[in-house]
Amino acid sequence: MEQLILSATLNGILLGGVLALLVFGLNLIFGVVKIIHLAYGQFVMLGMYIIFLLMTTYKMNIFIASLISCIILGLLGILLQMIVINPLLKSPRLNQLLALAGLIIIFENMAMVLWGADYRGIKLFLPVIHLGSLFIRTSYLVAFIGAIITLLGLNLFLNKTYVGLAIRATAQDLDSTQLMGINPKWVYLITQATGGILSGIVASFFMPIYTVHPHFGSAFTLMAFIIVILGGMGNFLGGFISAFIIGVVTSISAVLTSTEIADSIALIIFILIMLVRPQGLLGIRESR
Amino acid sequence: MNATSFLKRKFPLAILLLGILILPLLSPPPYLIHIITFIFIWSYITTVWSYMGRFHLVSLGHGAFLGIGAYISILLFNYYNISPWIGMLLGGMGAALLALILGYACFRFGVIGDYFALVTLALGEVIALIINAFRDVTGGSLGMTLKGVGTSFYYFQFEKKIYYYYVSLLFLMFALFLWQIIDRSRIQKALHAIGEDEIAAASIGIRIIRYKLFITLISAFLTATGGVLYTQFMTYVNPETLSGVGVSLAIPFKAILGGMFHLWGSTIGTAMIVSLEEYIRIMYGARFIGISQVFYGILLVALIIFLPKGLYGTISDYWQERKRISEEQPKMKLGFFGK
Amino acid sequence: MLLQVEGVSAFYGKFQALDQISLTIQERETTIMVGPNGAGKTTLLRTISGFLHPASGNILFNGEKIDDLDPYRIVEIGISQVPEGGRLFPYLSVKDNLKIGSFPKQARSKFKKSLEEVYELFPILKERANQLAGTMSGGERQMLAIARSLMAKPILVLLDEPSTGLAPLVVTHVINLVNDIKKRGYSILMVEQNARKALEVADRAFLLESGRVQKEGDREAFLGDDHIKRAYLGI
Repeated sequence: MEQLILSATLNGILLGGVLALLVFGLNLIFGVVKIIHLAYGQFVMLGMYIIFLLMTTYKMNIFIASLISCIILGLLGILLQMIVINPLLKSPRLNQLLALAGLIIIFENMAMVLWGADYRGIKLFLPVIHLGSLFIRTSYLVAFIGAIITLLGLNLFLNKTYVGLAIRATAQDLDSTQLMGINPKWVYLITQATGGILSGIVASFFMPIYTVHPHFGSAFTLMAFIIVILGGMGNFLGGFISAFIIGVVTSISAVLTSTEIADSIALIIFILIMLVRPQGLLGIRESR
Repeated sequence: MNATSFLKRKFPLAILLLGILILPLLSPPPYLIHIITFIFIWSYITTVWSYMGRFHLVSLGHGAFLGIGAYISILLFNYYNISPWIGMLLGGMGAALLALILGYACFRFGVIGDYFALVTLALGEVIALIINAFRDVTGGSLGMTLKGVGTSFYYFQFEKKIYYYYVSLLFLMFALFLWQIIDRSRIQKALHAIGEDEIAAASIGIRIIRYKLFITLISAFLTATGGVLYTQFMTYVNPETLSGVGVSLAIPFKAILGGMFHLWGSTIGTAMIVSLEEYIRIMYGARFIGISQVFYGILLVALIIFLPKGLYGTISDYWQERKRISEEQPKMKLGFFGK
Repeated sequence: MLLQVEGVSAFYGKFQALDQISLTIQERETTIMVGPNGAGKTTLLRTISGFLHPASGNILFNGEKIDDLDPYRIVEIGISQVPEGGRLFPYLSVKDNLKIGSFPKQARSKFKKSLEEVYELFPILKERANQLAGTMSGGERQMLAIARSLMAKPILVLLDEPSTGLAPLVVTHVINLVNDIKKRGYSILMVEQNARKALEVADRAFLLESGRVQKEGDREAFLGDDHIKRAYLGI
C-alpha cells in the first residue's frame, strides 16, 4: 500500500507541473487584464479536441498537431479579448464573470455538437517506468519536464524582453504604463495570446494522459481555480506551490477512494481553506 | 398619486393577472399549462436568487440549495413517506444552514465579489458530486423518480397539472410580494448602501454581516423550496438538472436577461429563455439541443455586452428617464423665479 | 510655439474642473503653474497627457491637434509626464523602471545611451540599479520617476508637484535637477504648490485658480506681484 501511495505522490508531483502551467496562464491573465478567465479550462478542452481531430482525421503527428493547436488557441485568446472582454472593460466585474460563464456554455455545447458526448482519446500508450517498487508514468514525466521548460521560458520572456516588461508593468500600474507610451489594449492582446498558447501546451501534455469529453473543461477549470485561489489570486509563486499540493492530494485521494469522493474532498478542503484564510496560503487579499 | 392614476397604471397588470388565473379553466392544450407552470417555478427560483443578486451578492452556486431541497425532500418521501411539505421545510432549513456556515465565513472574512462567486461555484459542484457519490441511495446521475401516490394534497402530488399551475403561481406571487416588502424595509436601504460602498456603510454602523446573512438565508431557504416544487411537478430529479454548475449559471442568466434589479425582471427573463429553449427543442428536436445551447450562450454573452441591465431593466430605465424629464420641465421654468 | 492650449474646458461628470484655459509653452522654456489645491493643475496635466478629453477647446503640439489622442500616443509624439508621487512600478527594479521608460520606438534604440545620460544626471540610480523601486526613499523615487520620463526621449516634460511629500533639503535637490534638465534642452511644464521654489527655475509662470488662468507672466512679474507674494510666496 505504501508503494501505491508513494507512487501516487510522485505522479502527483509530476502532474502538479502541468497544473502549475495551467495556473500560470490564469494568474497571468488575472494579473494583467484583471479578469477571472472562467472559460480557461474550455480552452484546454478545445485544444485537446483539435489535437485529436488533427491526429485522427489528418494523421498528423502529435508535435505538429500540438503546434497548430497552440496557434489556434493563441488566436482564440486574442479574439476573446477583442470581442468579449474589451467591450466589458468598464462594466461591473459581475458582468465580465457572467460573460465568461456564457462562453463556457458556448464551448461545451459546441464540443457536444461537433464531437458528441463520447470520450475521445488518442491511443498513445507510453511505458511505465519502474523505480524499484515504485512506478511513474512516462506521460506524466514528459509533461512535467515540458512544463518546467515552458515555465523557464516564460520567466525569460517576462523578465528579459520589452514585451514581457510591458506585461509586468501593466499588472502593477495601468495608468503609469500608459505614461510609458504603452497601449494597454495591445498588452491585453499579447497576454491573452500567451494564455491561449499556454492552454494549447497544457492540452498537448494532457493528450496522452486524459480522454477528452465536453465536460472536461469544467472539471479542470474548477480545479485550476482552486489552485489559483489557494495560492492567492495573481500570486505566481503561490500558484506554483499550490499546483503541486493539489496534484498530490488528488492523486493520493484517487488511489484511496473513488474519483468523485476525491474531487469532493478537494473541493471541501478548498472551501475550508477559503473560510479560514481567504487570501490563500500565500496570497494578498484583493480589497475592493 | 391618487386612486385613479394608481388604477390606471395597475390596470394592464390586473388584466394580465386575471388572464393567467382563468387560463387553465378555458381548456387550453395541456402542453401550454405545463410550460407556463414550468415558467412559474423557474421564475420563482430566479426571483429568490435575485434577492441576493440585486445587492451585488452574486452566487454562482444556487444549484446547491436546489439540490439540497430537492433531494432531502424526495429521499424523505420515497423512503420514509414524509410529506414533501415537511420535506420543503427541512430541505429549506438544510439549505439555510449551509448558507449560514458558508455565508458567515465569507462575510466575516471579507470574501466578496469575484471570490465569493467562485466559492459559491465550488459549492454547487460539491453538492452535485456528493449526490453522485452516494449513488446507492440517490441513484446518482440516473436520478430518482418520485414515488407515485395519486392525487393528494398532503403529499403534494396531483394527477392533473392544473393544481401545480396554481400552486406554483402562488409561490411566485409570494416571492414577488416578499420582494416588495424587502424593498420598502430598512433591509433594502442597508443592503443597497452595503452594495455601493461597504466600508462607508460599516462606518455608519450598519451591521454588514447581519444584513448579508439575512438575505442569504432567505434566498437559500426559498431556493430549496423551489427545488422541492420542481421535484413534485416533474416527479423526477437528477443532479444535472438541479445542482451543479449548469443550473447554477442558468439562474443568474435568466435574472440578468430580464434585469435582476427589477421586480419583474427575473420573471420576464425566465419566460423568455424557457420559451426560447422550448421553441428550439420543438423545432429541431433533442438532437439539436447542443446547437440551441450554443445560440443561447451567444445570446447571453451578447446581451451582457450590449444590454447590461437586461431587457426589462433597460426598457424600464428608459421609461423612468422619460418620466423624470417630463416632470422636471415645469420645475425648470419656476427655477428662475424660485431662486 | 511648442504647446498651445486654447480655450480648454474639462469636466469630471458634471463638475467643471477646467474653464476655458488658454496658455502657450515655448520651446526650451520652463513654464511653471502655481495655484491652490483643487485649482485644476493636475487636471490640466492629465488632459494634456490624454487621460481626460476636453469638452471644448483645442490642444496643439507643434501645430497638430492632440486632444483626442490616447495617452500612449501622447508619449509617442514627445510629451512625457512625471505624475504626482512618481508612480513607479514598485515590483520592478530601478533599471527595469528605466528600461520600460524607453519603450516607445524612437527611444528603444537609444536605450543604452539614454541610460548612461540618466546615470550621469542621477548617479545614485546607478548605485541602486537592481533595487526594487518600491523600497526606495521618497526623494530617490522622485528622481527615478523624473529619470524614467527622460528615457522616452521627450521634447516636453510635464511634472506634477515633484516636491510633494519631500523634505526641504530634498526639494532643493529636486529643483536643481529640474534645472539640470532644463539646461539639457528639454521643455518643461511644471505644476507646483511650492511656488517659491518653483519660480527659481521658471522662465514663465501661470496662476491657476478654480479652473481658470488668473495671471500669467515671466518670473519677475510673478515675484513682484503683491497678490502672489502674499498668497503663494508667504511674503
